[in-house]
Amino acid sequence: MRTKGGQISIMIVCLIVGIMISVQFKTTENYDPQVRETRFEDLTNQLNTIIEERDALAQEVLSLREKLTNINNNQQAVTDLQEELKKTNLVAGLLPVQGPGIVVTLNDSKRKVQPGENPNYSLVHEDDLLHIVNEMRASGAEAISINDERITAMSEIRCAGTTILVNWNKTVPPFEIRAIGDPVILESGMSIKGGYLETLKVLYGLEVQMQTADRVEIPAYKGPLRVRYSAPFESEEKAD
Amino acid sequence: MWLLSLFCLFVGLLIGFKLPILLPVVFVKYMSIGILAALDSVFGGIRAYMEDAFDNVIFLSGFVMNTLMAAGLAYLGDRLNLELYLAAVVVFGVRLFQNLGIIRRYLLKKY
Repeated sequence: MRTKGGQISIMIVCLIVGIMISVQFKTTENYDPQVRETRFEDLTNQLNTIIEERDALAQEVLSLREKLTNINNNQQAVTDLQEELKKTNLVAGLLPVQGPGIVVTLNDSKRKVQPGENPNYSLVHEDDLLHIVNEMRASGAEAISINDERITAMSEIRCAGTTILVNWNKTVPPFEIRAIGDPVILESGMSIKGGYLETLKVLYGLEVQMQTADRVEIPAYKGPLRVRYSAPFESEEKAD
Repeated sequence: MWLLSLFCLFVGLLIGFKLPILLPVVFVKYMSIGILAALDSVFGGIRAYMEDAFDNVIFLSGFVMNTLMAAGLAYLGDRLNLELYLAAVVVFGVRLFQNLGIIRRYLLKKY
């Protein structure tokens, strides 16, 4: 039965076989079967190892990146903290400071004590110093010292016999009270009419000198920092 | 007749090389068995044609079935870890050479 259909189908099948063979050729050319047979497992193992390594490295990259940001944050935090610490030390009086301000010198009266007069009136008392310091604070003083004793938040000015204790150190007249602040305001605050300095000077006859200066040097608080009883609030129960 | 078949085979090769198709590596083995079966079918068909015993349905179904069966056998062998494709190779290879010999004889008789 040599039919036309038979010829056509043989031709078509030959065509298909040709296509199959050429595709196979191309494929085997690209993938050497020898290599595929012998090294397939090797390559699979290598691939798996490398994939694992890559994953581990990716993990490492992540953690390193995190550490880097942490370090950057830490550096930022450290500089911030140092700045804050400096500021706090400045306010607390733990750093020697200098700046424009005022110097008030106080001494006992040189006037002879008249008979019947209370000799205490011609002496400089601790409350005189307290009043002056208070006045200076009210006038915007940022740092105050009495005879090179820095006045801190906890500094006492207390009468102790013939001397006055400041920061538990005895001082004697003449008292040199230095304050850093706006010299104009400080001076006007100190020399108010009827103010304390004037009273001391005029009423009690104490020796009072006052002068403004462009540069006043105030030493740091030298005493120990003891905090034995007070503790800060925990952050949760922070007082509002 | 056989010249026509050869011509078609070449055309198919050309088309295949031009086609941007690449077989996945996994299928290369099955494809080779399939090609062997297809070649066997083609030669069987040519032989039948020359013997005047050609049946279109048998030829086409044989082509398709043999190809698929051979590939499936190879696949099954792989799954069973048994080199079953060797059976296909042997059978189709023997038949291929038989058919080729018969075709050659016919051609020699003819010319």
